[in-house]
Amino acid sequence: MSLPKPHPLAHTSLVVSAAIFAFPLLWMVLSSLKPSTQLVEDPYAFWPRQWQWSNYVEAVQAMPYLRYLRNTLLLAGGSVVGSVLSCSLVAYGFARVRWRGRNVLFGVLIATMLLPWHVTMIPRFLLLRELGLYNSLAALVVPTFLGDAFYIFLLRQFFLTIPEELSEAGRLDGLGEWGIFCRIIMPLSTPALATVALFQFIASWNDFSGPLLYLSDPDKFPLAYGLEQFVSSYSDQTHLLLAAATLFTLPIVILFFLTQRTFLRGIATTGLKG
Amino acid sequence: MSANIRRNLTGIAFVSPWLIGLGLLFAYPFAASLYWSFCRYDLLSPPEFIGTQHYQRLAAEIAAGEGFGRAIWNTGYFALLSVPLSIALGVGLATMLSWKVRGQAVYRTLFFLPSVVPVVASSALWIWLLDPRDGILNRLLESVAAPRQLWFKGATEAMAPPDWFDFGSKDALILMSLWGVGNFMVIYLAAIGDIPEQLYEAAELDGAGRLRRFWHVTIPMLSPVIFFNLVMGMIQSVQAFTQVYIVSEGTGEPAAWSLMLSLHLFLSAFQDLDMGYASAMSWLLFVFLLIATALLFRTSRNWVHYQGAGR
Amino acid sequence: MLSRLLLCCLMLLALVVVISAWTEPPDARNVVPATRREVVFWHFWGGEDRTVVEAVVDRFNASQDEHFVRAIAMPGNNLDMKLFMAITGGDPPDVINQDDPIMADWAERGALLPLDEVASDSEIDALQKWLVPAANRLGTYRGRMYALCNGLDIRALYYNKTVLDQYGLQPPKSIDDLDEIAAATTVIQPDGRVVRFGYLPDARRLWAWGIVFGGEFDDDETGEVTLASRPIVEALAWMVSYRDRYGAAEVAAFRQGDQSLPGKTFPLLAGRYTMLMDGQWRVRDIVAAQREQRRAGQVVVEYGVCPLPFPPAGRPRAGWVNGNFFLVPRGAKNPAGAWEFMKFWSGFGGHEANAAQTCVAGGWIPVSTAVADQPTFRDYLQREPLFATFVELAAEPHQIPTPVMPGAAYFQRTVNDAAATAMYVEAAPDAKQLLEQAASRIQAHLDRNASRGER
Repeated sequence: MSLPKPHPLAHTSLVVSAAIFAFPLLWMVLSSLKPSTQLVEDPYAFWPRQWQWSNYVEAVQAMPYLRYLRNTLLLAGGSVVGSVLSCSLVAYGFARVRWRGRNVLFGVLIATMLLPWHVTMIPRFLLLRELGLYNSLAALVVPTFLGDAFYIFLLRQFFLTIPEELSEAGRLDGLGEWGIFCRIIMPLSTPALATVALFQFIASWNDFSGPLLYLSDPDKFPLAYGLEQFVSSYSDQTHLLLAAATLFTLPIVILFFLTQRTFLRGIATTGLKG
Repeated sequence: MSANIRRNLTGIAFVSPWLIGLGLLFAYPFAASLYWSFCRYDLLSPPEFIGTQHYQRLAAEIAAGEGFGRAIWNTGYFALLSVPLSIALGVGLATMLSWKVRGQAVYRTLFFLPSVVPVVASSALWIWLLDPRDGILNRLLESVAAPRQLWFKGATEAMAPPDWFDFGSKDALILMSLWGVGNFMVIYLAAIGDIPEQLYEAAELDGAGRLRRFWHVTIPMLSPVIFFNLVMGMIQSVQAFTQVYIVSEGTGEPAAWSLMLSLHLFLSAFQDLDMGYASAMSWLLFVFLLIATALLFRTSRNWVHYQGAGR
Repeated sequence: MLSRLLLCCLMLLALVVVISAWTEPPDARNVVPATRREVVFWHFWGGEDRTVVEAVVDRFNASQDEHFVRAIAMPGNNLDMKLFMAITGGDPPDVINQDDPIMADWAERGALLPLDEVASDSEIDALQKWLVPAANRLGTYRGRMYALCNGLDIRALYYNKTVLDQYGLQPPKSIDDLDEIAAATTVIQPDGRVVRFGYLPDARRLWAWGIVFGGEFDDDETGEVTLASRPIVEALAWMVSYRDRYGAAEVAAFRQGDQSLPGKTFPLLAGRYTMLMDGQWRVRDIVAAQREQRRAGQVVVEYGVCPLPFPPAGRPRAGWVNGNFFLVPRGAKNPAGAWEFMKFWSGFGGHEANAAQTCVAGGWIPVSTAVADQPTFRDYLQREPLFATFVELAAEPHQIPTPVMPGAAYFQRTVNDAAATAMYVEAAPDAKQLLEQAASRIQAHLDRNASRGER
């Protein structure tokens, strides 16, 4: 990537917008360190009166943290594998193989996203129960192996931007569609695949309703459930909620920070001629 | 001929995981909800066929601007503002983030982060930030002598006459959604990475300045993902639920000014036990979204630029 | 890419294995002993209350050798959804705890087990005599008991005694007193912004003021919606007089400020009001704040509680009541166990001392005077005199819930919407018009429901 170096004025705008985006987060972290009494007496103060690190200890101890963490990792890991594998296959079929009925079925794919989940939730639950998946993490992981319209659509858009000549070259070398998919398209799509992996990871990491509806055994609940328990209809434990939310977000931040280069390593840097 | 069949089979083989999912997990729920939309169905006793009564009621509500009609207006306002703004903001941020500046990784993480914060926490943050009396945003507005806004309690719309720029509950929700633009930004970032350098070099040789290069190279090359964002943004904003539920405490307050379709649907189905009505509402919504996306796909031929000639 | 993905997955798996090795064994609370019958209990309690709930469950399990309660907390809006899924799937829990006005809706549709199918008629008779009137009202639909209350939510008027003393004022007895104190102790900045409201009616509390002004929201006999009757219109008009005095925008902004307080903080403690109607659960917030002030060596602000003041034609010691109650879904596998647990928690059938302990721990109002008279609870009231007013009010006849009828949730929502429009929207129609509109909407909804019943 070598887009031009920014104009100094543009650089300033970057810094300013970063500050705007960061401000609520900074507040979240600072508030998570405030004593609960300060939140009550002076809710709009910026700095903590005293740095109450024990909020974090208390937040973690309020739930079986390791157990929930393990469940979340199983859930997120399984779903990422499922989504990346199934969605890349399906997207390839929609983007780069010409077959009868392709456009109609793609229309159906988009249509599956258009009905609000609240009205399909109960029959879907009954189906998963018939399949014997109720009260198991598989109820949430198995469907990801059957493709998700959002990710399929996204990958299709990326696959469509890869020049057709590359596929032609592969065909001349005697590759079949499977060979082109594995050897040409997938390696060129690292940023897109990484994006799907990241999105699915975050979606599973944050999912609260899914596990609650499809699981009935608290020992199988994920971290997102532990977070919700600080909210009550009579009085929230905001200081703990914010501490837990910070802890909860941190792994994703680190993950993203370490992998963010992956999202920008596309065709341009692999040196292929467009 | 046999090559044709072979290609058809190959295509079907690639999409087969999804086809299985379609038959297994989508066909029945879709059919069931369509049937319910013609039934009295209270979730607790078996559905009973009543014809098109729910659809007649929905039509009446649209005509009167109540209930469903009100929810359509609110959702339309939210979607029509938040989708274009989030595209503009997302492309803008992604462009900034592709610059070679020190601490690029930190900036990227910062912009992305808000979309990861759990909604329970981010809602609490925004209720704080947008407090009409002591919230930081209103204090800023006041310091530049602008009028304070009611935000989440405001029965107003910033983009509606006669009182322009009276920010109300929906505007606050739009602001909240823009803060979480990070995930779409990542998609743009990935797409910018795919733009061949030669295109910029060629444009520069032609004497194109920064703006022209952005307009004539970056934007067309991003058009496939902008299109994706447009379609998905529309679908997601129409179905936005959790944040609306939390900030309005499940009521759509003030006075139904933030009663979105998804919230109206939730309340009808699960509080009023009228799943038939909720299903009818969903299917009207479905038909509308289907037409809208079909139109978007149709127009996309004119402005979306795919490098792969695979169409 | 694929190989890297595989590598990532292997690492993740390794991580899971490592964590599993460290993970504590399954929570003993979730493991049903082989000799006991499981009672699956779903509830929505979170925050500090959840600890109290878990303690009750533990005590019940320790007291039993037949049944074993397994509690699952379901925060947010998920309890109802999960219940509907479970009922459709034929696998409901044995008992749930609820606080929304949904009992009549569910009972009407046969989703609930009437308590007379779990208990003998004589036991139900005894229960009805044992409960305070409000708890009976909340649990009874068409003459049958479907719900057993385990706690009542009573509202009264909190006041800042320190401020009243400064102004040499006494707590209000009538609406006129209330208005007078409100006007005297409201503090307005030179720029017109209110710093402290003496009092500001809350839109969601038309339910309370309507009853205090002498109104009925529906006619028990005919089932007609009487929302637009004179006393309720007067109550709303009185509430709106505050909006007229300070402006809808100022009122809305101030009210939003209450919601912006973190952790649902009691706005009275933030010094935002001199008087504020709220429920008994605020007592523990006051106590905590005073303890903190003492600890920090600050001046301790004193607070008091009194019954809602009333107008000349209104009702004394009246108000809007709701509560937490147990329901047994039809299809429950162990209704007998559910019944034992419900009695244990609410205190009926010899469990009074235990229930007193629970109420003290949670700051909850007993559903029977028999529980309130327990020494444990008496001691508690001695320590927390503020709480006593609520307990006394709980036994009063004019503590009235949202109508117990199918469609009650819609009824409640629509009334709250009308009141919010009146209070927060500048160009709102007058009180009578708004209530008439709301009444006709509710009536239409109820009629739709009723035509269902006839088939």
